[in-house]
Amino acid sequence: MSEVDPVGGADAVQAQRSVVEVRTSASAALIPTIRAVASDLAARADFDLDAISDLRMAVDEACATLVDVAAPGSDLHCEFTVLGERIEVRARVDIAGPGSTVSTDTFGWRVLQTLADSVELQADAGRTVGIRLHKSADPAPR
Amino acid sequence: MSAADSEYGHLTPLLVEYSGLARDDPRRERLRDELVTGYLPIAQHIARRFAHRGEPLDDLVQVATVGLINAVDRYSPEKGADFFSFAVPTISGEVRRHFRDQGWSMRVPRRLKDMHVSINAVVSELSQRLGRAPKPTEIAERLGVPVSEVLEGLEASEAYRSSSLDEMLSSEQGSATVGELVGEADAELDRVDYRQALRPVLAELADRERTIVMLRFFGNMTQTQIAEQVGISQMHVSRLLTQTLGRLRSRLDPDTRTG
Repeated sequence: MSEVDPVGGADAVQAQRSVVEVRTSASAALIPTIRAVASDLAARADFDLDAISDLRMAVDEACATLVDVAAPGSDLHCEFTVLGERIEVRARVDIAGPGSTVSTDTFGWRVLQTLADSVELQADAGRTVGIRLHKSADPAPR
Repeated sequence: MSAADSEYGHLTPLLVEYSGLARDDPRRERLRDELVTGYLPIAQHIARRFAHRGEPLDDLVQVATVGLINAVDRYSPEKGADFFSFAVPTISGEVRRHFRDQGWSMRVPRRLKDMHVSINAVVSELSQRLGRAPKPTEIAERLGVPVSEVLEGLEASEAYRSSSLDEMLSSEQGSATVGELVGEADAELDRVDYRQALRPVLAELADRERTIVMLRFFGNMTQTQIAEQVGISQMHVSRLLTQTLGRLRSRLDPDTRTG
Protein backbone atom coordinates (compact mmCIF):
# COMPACT_ATOMS: atom_id res chain seq x y z
CA MET A 1 0.00 0.00 0.00
CA SER A 2 1.60 3.27 -1.07
CA GLU A 3 -0.70 5.72 0.64
CA VAL A 4 -2.24 5.76 4.05
CA ASP A 5 -5.88 6.61 3.94
CA PRO A 6 -6.54 8.91 6.90
CA VAL A 7 -10.03 7.59 7.51
CA GLY A 8 -9.20 3.96 6.91
CA GLY A 9 -11.50 3.89 3.88
CA ALA A 10 -9.39 1.43 1.91
CA ASP A 11 -9.38 -1.01 4.78
CA ALA A 12 -13.05 -0.53 5.33
CA VAL A 13 -13.85 -1.49 1.75
CA GLN A 14 -11.89 -4.71 2.05
CA ALA A 15 -12.91 -5.54 5.57
CA GLN A 16 -15.81 -7.83 6.14
CA ARG A 17 -18.53 -6.08 8.08
CA SER A 18 -20.55 -8.36 10.24
CA VAL A 19 -23.22 -7.58 12.75
CA VAL A 20 -24.33 -9.68 15.68
CA GLU A 21 -27.24 -8.57 17.77
CA VAL A 22 -28.10 -10.12 21.11
CA ARG A 23 -31.22 -9.27 23.02
CA THR A 24 -31.75 -10.60 26.52
CA SER A 25 -33.92 -9.79 29.46
CA ALA A 26 -32.22 -7.01 31.38
CA SER A 27 -30.93 -9.39 34.00
CA ALA A 28 -27.44 -9.71 35.44
CA ALA A 29 -27.71 -13.50 35.15
CA LEU A 30 -27.63 -13.24 31.33
CA ILE A 31 -24.56 -11.02 31.06
CA PRO A 32 -22.13 -13.98 30.92
CA THR A 33 -23.85 -15.02 27.69
CA ILE A 34 -23.31 -11.59 26.16
CA ARG A 35 -19.69 -11.35 27.23
CA ALA A 36 -19.03 -14.81 25.82
CA VAL A 37 -20.26 -13.48 22.47
CA ALA A 38 -17.93 -10.49 22.85
CA SER A 39 -14.83 -12.55 23.55
CA ASP A 40 -15.65 -15.03 20.82
CA LEU A 41 -16.01 -12.27 18.23
CA ALA A 42 -12.76 -10.65 19.35
CA ALA A 43 -10.88 -13.97 19.21
CA ARG A 44 -12.23 -14.66 15.73
CA ALA A 45 -11.20 -11.16 14.64
CA ASP A 46 -7.70 -12.16 15.83
CA PHE A 47 -7.44 -9.60 18.62
CA ASP A 48 -4.51 -10.29 20.91
CA LEU A 49 -5.26 -11.95 24.25
CA ASP A 50 -5.14 -8.68 26.17
CA ALA A 51 -7.59 -7.03 23.79
CA ILE A 52 -9.93 -10.05 23.86
CA SER A 53 -10.00 -9.96 27.63
CA ASP A 54 -10.37 -6.17 27.71
CA LEU A 55 -13.35 -6.23 25.38
CA ARG A 56 -14.92 -9.04 27.38
CA MET A 57 -14.59 -7.12 30.63
CA ALA A 58 -15.76 -3.88 29.03
CA VAL A 59 -18.93 -5.55 27.77
CA ASP A 60 -19.42 -7.08 31.20
CA GLU A 61 -19.10 -3.67 32.83
CA ALA A 62 -21.29 -1.85 30.29
CA CYS A 63 -24.07 -4.43 30.54
CA ALA A 64 -23.93 -4.52 34.35
CA THR A 65 -24.16 -0.73 34.43
CA LEU A 66 -27.18 -0.71 32.14
CA VAL A 67 -28.98 -3.59 33.84
CA ASP A 68 -28.78 -1.57 37.07
CA VAL A 69 -30.87 1.23 35.59
CA ALA A 70 -33.15 -0.80 33.31
CA ALA A 71 -36.90 -0.58 33.72
CA PRO A 72 -38.36 -3.68 35.37
CA GLY A 73 -39.18 -6.39 32.83
CA SER A 74 -37.35 -4.63 30.00
CA ASP A 75 -34.72 -5.95 27.61
CA LEU A 76 -31.03 -5.37 27.13
CA HIS A 77 -30.08 -4.84 23.49
CA CYS A 78 -26.51 -5.45 22.52
CA GLU A 79 -25.25 -4.96 19.00
CA PHE A 80 -21.74 -5.92 17.93
CA THR A 81 -20.34 -4.68 14.66
CA VAL A 82 -17.12 -6.29 13.53
CA LEU A 83 -15.39 -4.22 10.91
CA GLY A 84 -12.05 -5.73 10.06
CA GLU A 85 -9.86 -5.27 13.10
CA ARG A 86 -12.33 -3.12 14.98
CA ILE A 87 -15.33 -4.07 17.04
CA GLU A 88 -18.04 -1.64 18.00
CA VAL A 89 -20.50 -2.44 20.76
CA ARG A 90 -23.78 -0.62 21.33
CA ALA A 91 -25.71 -1.66 24.37
CA ARG A 92 -28.93 -0.06 25.54
CA VAL A 93 -31.85 -0.52 27.89
CA ASP A 94 -35.18 1.17 28.45
CA ILE A 95 -35.23 3.05 31.71
CA ALA A 96 -38.08 3.59 34.11
CA GLY A 97 -37.91 7.38 33.92
CA PRO A 98 -35.67 10.43 33.74
CA GLY A 99 -34.47 9.72 37.28
CA SER A 100 -32.50 6.64 36.20
CA THR A 101 -29.16 7.75 34.89
CA VAL A 102 -25.70 6.42 34.45
CA SER A 103 -23.03 8.57 36.03
CA THR A 104 -19.69 8.86 34.32
CA ASP A 105 -17.89 10.02 37.44
CA THR A 106 -17.50 6.50 38.77
CA PHE A 107 -14.99 3.74 39.01
CA GLY A 108 -17.18 1.71 36.62
CA TRP A 109 -16.83 4.39 33.97
CA ARG A 110 -13.10 4.52 34.46
CA VAL A 111 -13.01 0.76 33.93
CA LEU A 112 -14.83 1.24 30.62
CA GLN A 113 -12.51 4.06 29.55
CA THR A 114 -9.46 2.00 30.37
CA LEU A 115 -10.63 -1.19 28.67
CA ALA A 116 -12.14 0.30 25.51
CA ASP A 117 -10.46 2.58 22.98
CA SER A 118 -13.41 4.93 23.25
CA VAL A 119 -16.65 4.94 25.17
CA GLU A 120 -19.61 7.24 25.23
CA LEU A 121 -22.89 7.45 27.06
CA GLN A 122 -26.00 7.82 24.96
CA ALA A 123 -29.16 9.06 26.59
CA ASP A 124 -32.48 9.58 24.92
CA ALA A 125 -34.84 11.93 26.72
CA GLY A 126 -35.35 9.75 29.74
CA ARG A 127 -36.53 6.72 27.73
CA THR A 128 -33.39 4.77 26.98
CA VAL A 129 -29.78 4.80 28.09
CA GLY A 130 -27.03 3.30 26.02
CA ILE A 131 -23.30 2.78 26.10
CA ARG A 132 -21.34 2.72 22.90
CA LEU A 133 -17.75 1.58 22.89
CA HIS A 134 -15.20 0.36 20.47
CA LYS A 135 -12.00 -1.59 20.58
CA SER A 136 -9.40 -2.14 17.90
CA ALA A 137 -7.19 -5.17 17.44
CA ASP A 138 -4.06 -3.07 17.30
CA PRO A 139 -2.96 -2.22 20.79
CA ALA A 140 -3.35 1.50 21.40
CA PRO A 141 -0.03 3.23 22.02
CA ARG A 142 0.53 3.78 25.69
CA MET B 1 20.90 -43.71 37.76
CA SER B 2 23.33 -46.08 39.41
CA ALA B 3 21.79 -45.63 42.86
CA ALA B 4 18.40 -46.37 41.41
CA ASP B 5 19.84 -49.31 39.54
CA SER B 6 21.11 -50.89 42.71
CA GLU B 7 17.87 -50.24 44.57
CA TYR B 8 15.59 -51.42 41.81
CA GLY B 9 17.99 -53.61 39.82
CA HIS B 10 16.31 -56.83 40.86
CA LEU B 11 13.09 -55.61 39.20
CA THR B 12 14.57 -55.17 35.74
CA PRO B 13 14.40 -58.83 34.72
CA LEU B 14 10.81 -58.95 35.98
CA LEU B 15 9.95 -55.96 33.77
CA VAL B 16 11.41 -57.70 30.77
CA GLU B 17 9.48 -60.84 31.59
CA TYR B 18 6.25 -58.89 32.20
CA SER B 19 6.41 -56.98 28.94
CA GLY B 20 6.93 -60.24 27.07
CA LEU B 21 3.82 -61.92 28.46
CA ALA B 22 0.63 -62.28 26.45
CA ARG B 23 -2.37 -60.17 27.57
CA ASP B 24 -4.15 -63.15 29.05
CA ASP B 25 -1.18 -64.83 30.65
CA PRO B 26 -2.10 -65.95 34.19
CA ARG B 27 1.30 -64.83 35.54
CA ARG B 28 0.68 -61.20 34.62
CA GLU B 29 -1.30 -60.18 37.66
CA ARG B 30 1.22 -61.50 40.19
CA LEU B 31 4.14 -59.98 38.28
CA ARG B 32 2.40 -56.65 37.97
CA ASP B 33 1.70 -56.55 41.70
CA GLU B 34 5.33 -57.26 42.39
CA LEU B 35 6.54 -54.57 39.99
CA VAL B 36 4.12 -51.91 41.23
CA THR B 37 4.99 -52.66 44.84
CA GLY B 38 8.69 -52.63 44.03
CA TYR B 39 8.60 -49.30 42.22
CA LEU B 40 6.07 -47.71 44.60
CA PRO B 41 8.68 -45.47 46.28
CA ILE B 42 9.07 -43.64 42.96
CA ALA B 43 5.34 -42.89 42.79
CA GLN B 44 5.37 -41.78 46.43
CA HIS B 45 8.35 -39.55 45.81
CA ILE B 46 6.68 -37.84 42.84
CA ALA B 47 3.40 -37.44 44.75
CA ARG B 48 5.27 -35.70 47.58
CA ARG B 49 6.74 -33.23 45.12
CA PHE B 50 3.19 -32.10 44.35
CA ALA B 51 2.10 -31.94 47.98
CA HIS B 52 1.04 -28.65 49.64
CA ARG B 53 -0.80 -27.53 46.52
CA GLY B 54 -4.26 -28.02 47.86
CA GLU B 55 -4.76 -31.72 47.18
CA PRO B 56 -4.47 -34.34 49.97
CA LEU B 57 -1.24 -36.35 49.79
CA ASP B 58 -3.14 -39.64 49.94
CA ASP B 59 -5.03 -38.74 46.78
CA LEU B 60 -1.82 -37.74 45.08
CA VAL B 61 -0.14 -41.03 45.98
CA GLN B 62 -3.14 -42.86 44.61
CA VAL B 63 -3.06 -40.90 41.36
CA ALA B 64 0.71 -41.37 41.08
CA THR B 65 0.24 -45.11 41.61
CA VAL B 66 -2.22 -45.18 38.72
CA GLY B 67 0.50 -43.49 36.68
CA LEU B 68 2.99 -46.11 37.81
CA ILE B 69 0.65 -48.95 36.80
CA ASN B 70 0.28 -47.34 33.37
CA ALA B 71 4.02 -47.04 33.11
CA VAL B 72 4.55 -50.70 34.03
CA ASP B 73 1.91 -51.75 31.50
CA ARG B 74 3.17 -49.63 28.65
CA TYR B 75 6.92 -49.98 29.10
CA SER B 76 8.69 -51.97 26.43
CA PRO B 77 12.36 -52.70 27.16
CA GLU B 78 13.17 -53.42 23.52
CA LYS B 79 12.71 -49.70 22.72
CA GLY B 80 15.95 -49.08 24.57
CA ALA B 81 14.96 -46.46 27.14
CA ASP B 82 15.41 -47.43 30.76
CA PHE B 83 12.32 -47.72 32.89
CA PHE B 84 12.97 -44.58 34.95
CA SER B 85 13.16 -42.22 32.03
CA PHE B 86 9.85 -43.66 30.86
CA ALA B 87 8.09 -43.95 34.22
CA VAL B 88 8.91 -40.58 35.78
CA PRO B 89 7.22 -38.45 33.08
CA THR B 90 4.32 -40.90 32.87
CA ILE B 91 3.68 -40.67 36.61
CA SER B 92 4.17 -36.89 36.76
CA GLY B 93 1.84 -36.57 33.79
CA GLU B 94 -0.86 -38.46 35.62
CA VAL B 95 -0.51 -36.22 38.69
CA ARG B 96 -0.55 -33.07 36.54
CA ARG B 97 -3.66 -34.29 34.78
CA HIS B 98 -5.28 -34.79 38.18
CA PHE B 99 -4.61 -31.16 39.12
CA ARG B 100 -5.81 -30.04 35.75
CA ASP B 101 -9.06 -31.96 36.07
CA GLN B 102 -9.58 -30.58 39.57
CA GLY B 103 -9.24 -27.09 38.16
CA TRP B 104 -12.16 -27.17 35.76
CA SER B 105 -15.47 -25.73 36.87
CA MET B 106 -17.41 -27.69 34.27
CA ARG B 107 -16.97 -30.69 32.08
CA VAL B 108 -14.59 -29.87 29.29
CA PRO B 109 -13.24 -32.53 26.92
CA ARG B 110 -9.69 -33.65 27.60
CA ARG B 111 -8.61 -32.44 24.15
CA LEU B 112 -9.62 -28.86 25.03
CA LYS B 113 -7.96 -29.01 28.44
CA ASP B 114 -4.77 -30.09 26.76
CA MET B 115 -5.15 -27.25 24.27
CA HIS B 116 -5.63 -24.80 27.13
CA VAL B 117 -2.44 -26.06 28.76
CA SER B 118 -0.55 -25.85 25.46
CA ILE B 119 -1.78 -22.30 24.86
CA ASN B 120 -0.86 -21.20 28.35
CA ALA B 121 2.58 -22.69 27.90
CA VAL B 122 3.43 -20.59 24.83
CA VAL B 123 1.66 -17.32 25.70
CA SER B 124 4.40 -15.89 27.90
CA GLU B 125 7.13 -16.95 25.50
CA LEU B 126 5.32 -15.27 22.59
CA SER B 127 4.56 -12.17 24.68
CA GLN B 128 8.25 -11.75 25.44
CA ARG B 129 9.17 -12.06 21.81
CA LEU B 130 6.40 -9.81 20.47
CA GLY B 131 6.39 -7.25 23.28
CA ARG B 132 2.60 -7.64 23.57
CA ALA B 133 0.06 -10.41 24.07
CA PRO B 134 -0.11 -12.87 21.16
CA LYS B 135 -3.05 -13.21 18.78
CA PRO B 136 -4.85 -16.53 18.18
CA THR B 137 -3.19 -16.88 14.76
CA GLU B 138 0.24 -16.41 16.32
CA ILE B 139 -0.48 -19.02 18.98
CA ALA B 140 -1.75 -21.43 16.33
CA GLU B 141 1.37 -20.95 14.26
CA ARG B 142 3.63 -21.49 17.25
CA LEU B 143 1.80 -24.68 18.25
CA GLY B 144 1.44 -25.91 14.68
CA VAL B 145 -2.33 -26.37 15.00
CA PRO B 146 -5.30 -24.82 13.14
CA VAL B 147 -6.58 -21.48 14.48
CA SER B 148 -9.96 -23.11 15.03
CA GLU B 149 -8.41 -25.33 17.71
CA VAL B 150 -6.85 -22.36 19.45
CA LEU B 151 -10.21 -20.57 19.42
CA GLU B 152 -11.84 -23.60 21.01
CA GLY B 153 -9.07 -23.81 23.56
CA LEU B 154 -9.50 -20.14 24.47
CA GLU B 155 -13.21 -20.66 24.87
CA ALA B 156 -12.55 -23.61 27.15
CA SER B 157 -10.20 -21.47 29.23
CA GLU B 158 -13.16 -19.52 30.49
CA ALA B 159 -14.36 -22.63 32.30
CA TYR B 160 -11.11 -22.85 34.16
CA ARG B 161 -10.80 -22.23 37.87
CA SER B 162 -7.70 -20.51 39.05
CA SER B 163 -6.36 -22.59 41.95
CA SER B 164 -4.85 -25.23 39.75
CA LEU B 165 -1.53 -26.44 38.62
CA ASP B 166 -0.24 -24.05 36.01
CA GLU B 167 -1.13 -21.15 38.27
CA MET B 168 0.70 -22.73 41.17
CA LEU B 169 3.73 -23.38 39.05
CA SER B 170 3.99 -19.69 38.27
CA SER B 171 6.42 -17.81 40.45
CA GLU B 172 5.15 -16.65 43.79
CA GLN B 173 6.89 -13.35 44.22
CA GLY B 174 6.45 -10.37 41.98
CA SER B 175 9.26 -8.18 40.79
CA ALA B 176 10.79 -5.58 43.04
CA THR B 177 9.33 -2.71 41.06
CA VAL B 178 5.72 -3.70 41.77
CA GLY B 179 5.60 -1.61 44.94
CA GLU B 180 6.88 1.41 43.08
CA LEU B 181 4.35 0.97 40.29
CA VAL B 182 1.51 0.59 42.77
CA GLY B 183 2.69 3.80 44.42
CA GLU B 184 2.36 5.66 41.13
CA ALA B 185 -1.06 4.15 40.53
CA ASP B 186 -2.07 5.18 44.02
CA ALA B 187 -1.18 8.80 43.29
CA GLU B 188 -3.40 8.58 40.23
CA LEU B 189 -6.25 7.18 42.32
CA ASP B 190 -5.94 10.23 44.58
CA ARG B 191 -6.96 12.42 41.69
CA VAL B 192 -10.41 10.90 41.16
CA ASP B 193 -13.57 12.10 42.86
CA TYR B 194 -14.87 8.69 43.85
CA ARG B 195 -11.68 7.71 45.72
CA GLN B 196 -13.39 7.93 49.09
CA ALA B 197 -15.93 5.33 48.06
CA LEU B 198 -13.40 3.14 46.29
CA ARG B 199 -10.58 3.06 48.83
CA PRO B 200 -12.31 1.08 51.58
CA VAL B 201 -13.59 -1.44 49.03
CA LEU B 202 -10.12 -1.86 47.54
CA ALA B 203 -8.77 -2.33 51.04
CA GLU B 204 -10.96 -5.40 51.44
CA LEU B 205 -9.25 -7.13 48.52
CA ALA B 206 -6.36 -9.54 48.82
CA ASP B 207 -3.00 -7.88 48.13
CA ARG B 208 -2.50 -9.43 44.74
CA GLU B 209 -6.01 -8.60 43.48
CA ARG B 210 -5.67 -5.01 44.68
CA THR B 211 -2.29 -4.69 43.01
CA ILE B 212 -3.65 -5.97 39.72
CA VAL B 213 -6.67 -3.63 39.79
CA MET B 214 -4.47 -0.64 40.67
CA LEU B 215 -1.96 -1.35 37.92
CA ARG B 216 -4.63 -1.94 35.28
CA PHE B 217 -6.99 0.95 36.01
CA PHE B 218 -4.73 3.53 37.63
CA GLY B 219 -1.29 2.46 36.46
CA ASN B 220 -2.11 2.29 32.75
CA MET B 221 -0.54 -1.15 32.32
CA THR B 222 -1.74 -3.95 30.04
CA GLN B 223 -2.58 -7.40 31.39
CA THR B 224 0.56 -8.80 29.81
CA GLN B 225 2.73 -6.16 31.48
CA ILE B 226 1.03 -6.82 34.81
CA ALA B 227 1.48 -10.58 34.37
CA GLU B 228 5.20 -10.05 33.95
CA GLN B 229 5.49 -7.74 36.97
CA VAL B 230 3.39 -9.84 39.31
CA GLY B 231 4.83 -13.15 38.13
CA ILE B 232 1.65 -14.95 37.02
CA SER B 233 0.24 -15.78 33.59
CA GLN B 234 -1.74 -13.32 31.47
CA MET B 235 -4.72 -15.68 31.61
CA HIS B 236 -4.54 -15.66 35.37
CA VAL B 237 -4.45 -11.85 35.42
CA SER B 238 -7.49 -11.85 33.15
CA ARG B 239 -9.42 -14.19 35.44
CA LEU B 240 -8.45 -12.32 38.60
CA LEU B 241 -9.43 -8.98 37.07
CA THR B 242 -12.81 -10.29 35.93
CA GLN B 243 -13.55 -11.76 39.34
CA THR B 244 -12.36 -8.68 41.17
CA LEU B 245 -14.34 -6.26 39.01
CA GLY B 246 -17.44 -8.32 39.73
CA ARG B 247 -16.77 -8.10 43.43
CA LEU B 248 -16.06 -4.36 43.32
CA ARG B 249 -19.25 -3.82 41.36
CA SER B 250 -21.39 -5.50 43.98
CA ARG B 251 -19.61 -3.71 46.82
CA LEU B 252 -19.83 -0.28 45.20
CA ASP B 253 -23.52 -0.58 44.45
CA PRO B 254 -25.42 1.60 44.53
CA ASP B 255 -23.69 4.66 45.98
CA THR B 256 -20.96 5.10 43.43
CA ARG B 257 -22.17 3.47 40.33
CA THR B 258 -25.62 4.89 39.80
CA GLY B 259 -27.18 8.23 40.38
